[in-house]
This record gives sequence, C-alpha cells and structure tokens, in this order.
Amino acid sequence: MDVHSASQRFLGLTARRWRTGAVPGPLAQMLLVAVGYYAAARVGFAFTLQPNPISTLWPPNALLLAVLLLAPARAWWWLLAAALPAHLLIELQSGVPTAMVLGWYASNCSEALIGAALVRAFAPGPLRLDSLRKAGLFLLCAVLAAPLLSSFFDAALVRLIGWGESEYWDLVQRRFASNVLAELTVGPLILTWATFSSARLRAATPARYAEAALIFGGLFAVCLVAFDLPQIDARAAPALFYAPLPFLLWAAVRLGTPGAASAIALLTVATIGGAVSGLGPFTDRTAEDTAREMQLFLIAASVPMLLLAVALEERSRAEREAHEQRLQLTHLARVAMLGELSGGIAHELNQPLTAILSNAQAAQHFIANKTGSPQVLSEILQDIVLADLRAGEIIRRLHTLFKRGETQFRPLDMNTVVGEVLDIARGDLATRSVDVRRHLGESIPAVSGDRVELQQVLLNLVVNASEAMSAGTAPGRRVLTVCTGTEAGMVKVSVIDSGPGFPAEQHERMFEAFYTTKAQGLGLGLSISRAIVRVHNGHLWGEANPGGGASFHVTLPAA
Amino acid sequence: MSSAQVSVIDDDAAVLRSVGRLLQAAGYAVQTFSSSQDFLTHPGGGAPGCIVMDLSMPGMGGLDLQQALAKKADRRPVVFISGQGSIATSVAAMKAGAIDFLTKPFDASRLLGAVSAAIERDLSSRGAQRERAAVEGRLASLTPREREVLDMVAAGKLNKQIAAALGTAEKTVKVHRARMMRKMQVDSLAGLIRTWTSIQPPSASSA
Repeated sequence: MDVHSASQRFLGLTARRWRTGAVPGPLAQMLLVAVGYYAAARVGFAFTLQPNPISTLWPPNALLLAVLLLAPARAWWWLLAAALPAHLLIELQSGVPTAMVLGWYASNCSEALIGAALVRAFAPGPLRLDSLRKAGLFLLCAVLAAPLLSSFFDAALVRLIGWGESEYWDLVQRRFASNVLAELTVGPLILTWATFSSARLRAATPARYAEAALIFGGLFAVCLVAFDLPQIDARAAPALFYAPLPFLLWAAVRLGTPGAASAIALLTVATIGGAVSGLGPFTDRTAEDTAREMQLFLIAASVPMLLLAVALEERSRAEREAHEQRLQLTHLARVAMLGELSGGIAHELNQPLTAILSNAQAAQHFIANKTGSPQVLSEILQDIVLADLRAGEIIRRLHTLFKRGETQFRPLDMNTVVGEVLDIARGDLATRSVDVRRHLGESIPAVSGDRVELQQVLLNLVVNASEAMSAGTAPGRRVLTVCTGTEAGMVKVSVIDSGPGFPAEQHERMFEAFYTTKAQGLGLGLSISRAIVRVHNGHLWGEANPGGGASFHVTLPAA
Repeated sequence: MSSAQVSVIDDDAAVLRSVGRLLQAAGYAVQTFSSSQDFLTHPGGGAPGCIVMDLSMPGMGGLDLQQALAKKADRRPVVFISGQGSIATSVAAMKAGAIDFLTKPFDASRLLGAVSAAIERDLSSRGAQRERAAVEGRLASLTPREREVLDMVAAGKLNKQIAAALGTAEKTVKVHRARMMRKMQVDSLAGLIRTWTSIQPPSASSA
C-alpha cells in the first residue's frame, strides 16, 4: 500500500514535471546525454575530411560541456558517465584500440569539466547566454580555454598510446580548431534552446513564424548556392562568403539568441557538409588546409553574430524591465490616488445604496399599509434596478482603475474620458463642495491612448485641484472647470481651478518625482502623469491663472 | 401626523426620490428639492414639519443652508443625511441645532424616528410660540400705567412701595393691579410670575 502510493506519487511527480516543461528526471537526462552524444559523434564522423583523421567539427565534447553548464555540479559525474556507453558504442566500431578509445573519453570529459568548472567559477548556477558578460565568459572559458587545455592532454594521450603518425603540435592544433568550432556552434544552440521558454514560442504571432521561416529558408538557400554547388569560379569565393551575412544579421536582430545560434549552426552544417562532399569554395586545396580555412571562416562569422544577438537581447530585456517598472510605478501611483479618493468613492457608492434601501423600505411600508398602487410599486422597482446598475457601474470603473494592465492604445474620445473621470471624482468633489463646470468642445477628434492611463492623468489633475481648493478657498467659491478643445491639430484638455494657485518656483518642480506640498502624498502623481502623457506623445504643463487659481493642460495628438 | 410637512433636499435625484417616497409611505406630506437654492426660493414653513437635507451638495452645502435658515428665523428642525459623515461636520451640524445626523445608507426606522422627533420638537416649539404670542398680546393690551405696575409687581415690590414710586395712592395701585391681573388672565401672583418669566428672553436684558 505504502510502496504503491509512493510509486504513484513518484510517477505523478515526474509526469507533472514533464508536463510543466521543467527539468526532466535524472534517468531521462542520462538517456538524453547518451543519445545526444552518440548522434553528435555521428555528425563528427560525417564531417571528417578524408584522409585527415580529425573531424572539422567534433560536437560530442561541446554537447557534454553545454549539458554540464546547465546541470548542478553534483550531477556532473553521472552525466559524464552516461556518455561512456555511447562513446564506446561508436568508437569501438571504428577499429580504434580500446586504450585510445578510453583515452579520448578521458580527454573529452576533461574538456567538458575544464570549461564547465571555469564558467561556473565566475557565473554560479545554470548558464544562460543573456548578458554580454556571460557570453564573453562562455567564449573565453568554454570556447577558448577548455579546447586549448584539453587538447594538450588529448595530444599527449595520442602520442603516448602511439595512435597515428601526427606530430604532437599538429595534433594539438587540429583538435583545438575543431573543438573551438564545435563549442561555438553546438554550445549556444543547446544553451539557448534548453533555457528557452515554450511560452515565448506560443506567444509568437503567425507573422513572427513567417519571418523566422523566411530567414531560415533564405539562409538555407543562400548557403546551398554559396557552399554546396560545384565550384564555378574561385575568384567569386570572397563574395560568396558574405552571401549568408544578411540572413545571419537578420536572425541575430530579430530572433534572439536561439535564432542566432540556430542560424550559425545551419551555416556551419551547410559549409562543412558541402566541403565534405567536395562542393563549395573550400575544395581546391589539401584536406588539412580546407579544414583550417573553413574553421577560421566559421569562427570569424559566428563570434560577432552570437555577441550581437546577446547584446540585443540584453538591451531589449533592460527595456522590458524599464517598461515593467514604469507600469508598476504607474499602477502604484494610481492605487495611492484611489486611496485618497476612497472617502469620495464611498460617498458615491452610498448614494445608490441609499436609494435602493429607502425605495425597498418605502415599498414595504406601502404594502403593509395597503396604500401602494401597482403603478407606484413598479416605479419603485424600476428605481431600485437603476440604482443597482449605477452601483455596479461605479464598481466596474473602480475595478479597471485598480487593475494592473498593459498599456493599450485605442481610439478614445476625450470628452467621454473627461465624463468618466468626473463621475469617479464626483463624490470627492461633492464632499469638498466643489462646483464643476464642463466646457466640452464639439466634434473633437479621437486620440490614440490607453483609457485607464489617461483617466489616471485627468483624475490626478482633478483631485489636485479639488484638494487645493478645499484647503485654500471658501466653500462657495470652489469652481472646477474642465475644458476640451482642439489646438493646432492636438486635442487639448484643461483642468482649471479657483484655488490658491502655486508660486512660480514650483512651476516645474511639481513635475519632479517625490516633490509634494501635501501632508499625505507620494509626490508621484504629476511626474507619473507627465510620463504617461509623454508615452502618448503629448504634453502636460501647468500655469497660474491671471485671476488666481491654477490651470493644467494636456495636449494629445489626434489619432 | 399626516398634516406634518417634510421638506427633503438632496442633489442626488435617486436618493431624493427614494427618501421622499419613504416619508410619503410613512404618511407625511413631502416636498422635494434638488438644491439649497431651489429650497430657498420656495421654503414653505407654514405648516409644522421638518427638513431632511443632504450634507454635501454642490453650491450651498447643508451646513450653509442650516445657517441661512437660522438667519431667516426659520426654526424648522433639521435632520442631516450624509454619504460621508466626518466627526467634525456632524459635531458642527448638531451644535447648530440639528436633530440627528444619519449616515447613508440608513435604515428607514432611523430616518422615520429622527423625522418624528423633529416634528414633535417643531410642534412643541410652535405651541410655545403660540403661547408666547398670546402672552405678548395680553401684555400689549395693558395701559402704560398697568405695565409699570406689572413690572414692579414682578420685581417683588409691595403695593405701598409701588404707590410711593408712582406717586399715587395705594388704593389706585390696587385698582390698576386688579385690572392688570384680569387682562393677563391670571388669578394669583404665582400665575402672573410664571407667565411673565415665560416670555422673558433667556439672557434677560429688558429695560
């Protein structure tokens, strides 16, 4: 029973982890490493230029290194162990002595361990290529240091076991170049796709998919022409090398690091694949020269593309974070303002509640006294319905103001927005005995804006005016005037009060963050309002009225 | 009770209608006004009754209207209803003589209780008013000499002292005094004093 439920729990747990796209279980990881290693070795053999015994691109080591970079250090040993069966399976088929096969396993593991340990020392945790610093670290430690150091070890083992006739330094050089290219091609591919969230794929629009298809289709076609056709004219070669560049740049700029890594991988496969089949520009020389030139070309093309993609992604993330912070701050200021308005809002909600209660109790009296005609009772019910709808509308409006949402630009009629704002502020204005006058212009063009954010701006101006007047103006003389109109192609909304106004030195300071003259206030209202208006390509400014009081104006471009 | 007249003033049409209906259902004659200014142009006030008014209204608010009515010597009691009652405003309203201060939404029993208390007060103050008017009428019917006698009797002087002060015979004073007592419709010194003090202003500064 216990064992049964425990195993169910275990299965349930692993199933859940799979469904949520989390890290696969340990056994699955080991299986993945083994299969991946085997496939990578097959690719490596396929990319071996005969009779040169060293592959132009040897991906298994890069795969191991990338896997270690993603895994916690305690998992490294069994992840490396998982590669051994795959290594033996593929290498023993090729007739290499067992000692050499085991030696290569050791040197491959050493490369992965050196690279992973160096990177981990400077960047703890699973590596994500999301900043230039980390990308640089990856290039220095995993792409440069790990192949270099392990190649000394590898060449020493080869000489020690006595496999082949190559010189020690030749061995070092060839293995280094081939593994650098592999790290550069396979490493980012695995690192970026393994940490890529499927949510981003699902969120992508069809146009985005079409763009990706166009980029990879175009890159593939260009690579075919440049690297996989029988060589026509050697003098055209330099031009051919540049042919894939536009598509690589396009991928780096538009598709992020996974896109750039994939494009680099496609270029590498096409180039080496062509050369292995005797096609493309790298054919009219010895195998060794061909391999070296291809490696240099591919390394030179890949490094800047990768760094470009990472730099762009870093910048767009910083922009996203800044945007997110602006939204948070805007929302914070809005909620704080609604807090200040809470008394007025309670007043506003209490009106329909009073109407409902008094109507219902009047009906009870009429019925109890048998004095209510059906006509009167039906009027009462109608009024209850209307009051209830009114209360519901107040709550709905409040809810949209309290909610945190993305900025959404829609065509808006500013007269409607003004009406909504005055509705929300009505309770506050009434309790402060402020007389509201509207001078709404007719046939005002629509503006393109976010309803909630523009409501926030105007509400802030109205509340400021109302507070200023209730603090410094006699009750009978508190007049708030809201005007809308068109001025030089812009829609202009003005909020004018009859309060005490403001001294000239406050003229611009009041738009600064945390500047406030109120006892209870964050001092964020106007600075955030100005930021909102700026996002809408408009202007917000204040001025003292000649006859006393203050005016604030918002202009927004007509949509 | 049905003769009592209740004026309701609230800028919110739905509240105004519902409160008016509730008072109608309770048997009052109701007049509704959507603003203080509207009310001041047709204040009514002939019949006994009271005023139910919103505290915060655009233009003239409830407290200001209360003051304006006091200036016009309109003594109808006021019941305030408010959507957002702060302690400061309710204290100000009560100090200025409001009967009650109800926070919206309120139960019918509270409003009807406050209104009936207000009307009772209006009726009793109107009764006192009538009484006072009657006494003042009787006072006015006194001759100057009778009035002098009254003042001195009320001040506790004896007939002899009064005669000396007026320079007449004590007998003549007795005649004036008897006529004065009859006109004042009292038959004892105690009754005269009670009637006399009922019309004295609270801060006695009569000359």
